[in-house]
Amino acid sequence: MTTPRTLMNPLLPFIMAGDPSLEALPGILSAARALGLEAMELGLPHSDPIADGPVLQAAAHRAIQRGATPRRVLESLAGLTDSPDLILFTYVNPLLQIGTETLIRLLAPTPVKALLVVDLPYGEEPAFEADLRAAGYPMVPLLTPTTTLDRARGILADRPDPGPGSPFAQRFAYVVARLGVTGTGQGTDLTPVARRVADLQTLGARPLAVGFGLSDPESLAAIRALGATPVVGSALVQELANGKDLRTALLPRWTPAT
Amino acid sequence: MTSGFTLPSRFGRQGLGGCYAPETLLQPLLDLEAAFVAAASDPAFQAELKAELRHFVGRPTPLTPAPRLAAVLGLRSLYLKREDLTHTGAHKINNALAQALLARRMGKTEIIAETGAGQHGVATAAACARLGLSCTVYMGVTDMARQAPNVARMRLFGAKVEPVEAGQGTLKEAVNEALRAWAGNCNKAHYILGSALGPHPFPTLVRTFQTVIGEEARAQALEQCGTLPEVVLACAGGGSNGLGLLVPFLQDPLRRIAVEAGGHGAGLGEHAARLDGGRMGVLHGCRTLLLQDDHGHTAETASISAGLDYPALGPELAALILDGHVEVRRASDEEALEGARLLCEAEGILPALESSHALAVLPALARDGVTSVLLGLSGRGDKDLSTYQARTGASA
Repeated sequence: MTTPRTLMNPLLPFIMAGDPSLEALPGILSAARALGLEAMELGLPHSDPIADGPVLQAAAHRAIQRGATPRRVLESLAGLTDSPDLILFTYVNPLLQIGTETLIRLLAPTPVKALLVVDLPYGEEPAFEADLRAAGYPMVPLLTPTTTLDRARGILADRPDPGPGSPFAQRFAYVVARLGVTGTGQGTDLTPVARRVADLQTLGARPLAVGFGLSDPESLAAIRALGATPVVGSALVQELANGKDLRTALLPRWTPAT
Repeated sequence: MTSGFTLPSRFGRQGLGGCYAPETLLQPLLDLEAAFVAAASDPAFQAELKAELRHFVGRPTPLTPAPRLAAVLGLRSLYLKREDLTHTGAHKINNALAQALLARRMGKTEIIAETGAGQHGVATAAACARLGLSCTVYMGVTDMARQAPNVARMRLFGAKVEPVEAGQGTLKEAVNEALRAWAGNCNKAHYILGSALGPHPFPTLVRTFQTVIGEEARAQALEQCGTLPEVVLACAGGGSNGLGLLVPFLQDPLRRIAVEAGGHGAGLGEHAARLDGGRMGVLHGCRTLLLQDDHGHTAETASISAGLDYPALGPELAALILDGHVEVRRASDEEALEGARLLCEAEGILPALESSHALAVLPALARDGVTSVLLGLSGRGDKDLSTYQARTGASA
């Protein structure tokens, strides 16, 4: 039986910090907020993004070339209030090199509310993860097509939903729609992910976001119809890199709640 | 929730290794570990592996005395473990063949591999041809240029060689791309990682399949010399050759030395010497010593040898080093070339550039008073002919 749920967020966009530039970041975040977006994923560029496809690899590479180091990205977010809640999307090594204490100090004045660390399964860095959670930065659980339902149950329990009093950024689980890496998938078959979302919805009322290979308005609408939040990443990053502004890029992809 | 793995995934006092993999790969890694554990206690699998190692690979490989080179260096005795005489010409085939057998046992029909020097790619392509598996090898474009003969060999064995343009076009980028490809096709494909690195269980798998080198060498040394040498010596890129030779000697009262690539300078980006220049970090699924900048971005590396040109030391070898069981030396590009020249002229054996790094530290060991050495000759140097010709002035 499907648990009744409220769709908390009609779209979860992903952008890469430092692409097109760090200077442009506050403006982009402000535009996102003006659109009514509650939350947004912000990629922290990494040299070896093993879970990313060509578009996000290239964006990370450009951002690093332009000096978007992890520290500078976090410093550029300090004091920003005109922004959606941010989910910092990254890999574990840059965070480990900053160190837990410094990381928490750098995150404190930013709109970051949670971390999505692609290559950090629960249990690999228990002290690091526990300290961050205690400081208010939980890790977003990831569920992929290879995650069995039993395993999903365990993952959701390891990285629990803090409950309806908390913001979407700290509550949702990220459902990876297909095998492989991030990137625009033309004509991705949504049947398996629809079945998948329905299965996961039987596990509880936790909000779900669905990403990887979604970009066209029809796919995004289909995900919304499942009661989940669609993520748009590579397609948006590409359009921003090509000079399009966030509002123009996002407007065709969602209908704001009336 | 526990990780679900049954074998230890961490090494040494600092707990190196681990399984820092994207969630998509966790179930495939769990399945791989389960298949490996089952195969390890299955006499039929072990018999098949043993037969293939004997009849296809050509094991056991000889332990060759090198008396003329020993005399030149002032050593009393020098023995070479001849992995260069395996089919496909390097130790890589031991692991590639074993993992290919494991993949077939798991019902996988496609194989993905990365390669640096091309030796692992050639070995995997050969094993796949032998077992009827399709094979795709990811290789950096820089490495494809400097190891062109191996690219041709892989293609002759029916493998598809995918050029990787990103970054420096070397082994690190090839591993990135192989991991991405595996995530996209993990239901049908097995990823044969070629070195003792990556997420658990790969470091343990690769070390297990490579220790045949040291097990044979130890028995041969006792049989041929009646005693073990003072020093056992191997080059180390990721660490499959180093672990393969050194691990079976861990309980023995002798010095175990791994040699890293000193490249052409001491600055970050000029070498691949992880012990001095590296800091603890996570790359390609494991925590280990890593050459990186202050931001946790992987540093560039340099070595004349494609097989040693990698920014991370395999976690188990790094742990053995940090815990004092294995010593580390480094050899520069120039020293490696000189080591190769010495072996060619004194013994009529052309070593791979990787193995030449181990040869390169022999003069210093002899000066320090070492008298007997067993050296792992990890591969043959045919693939490196163009580099040797260009750098030593030898003409074709």
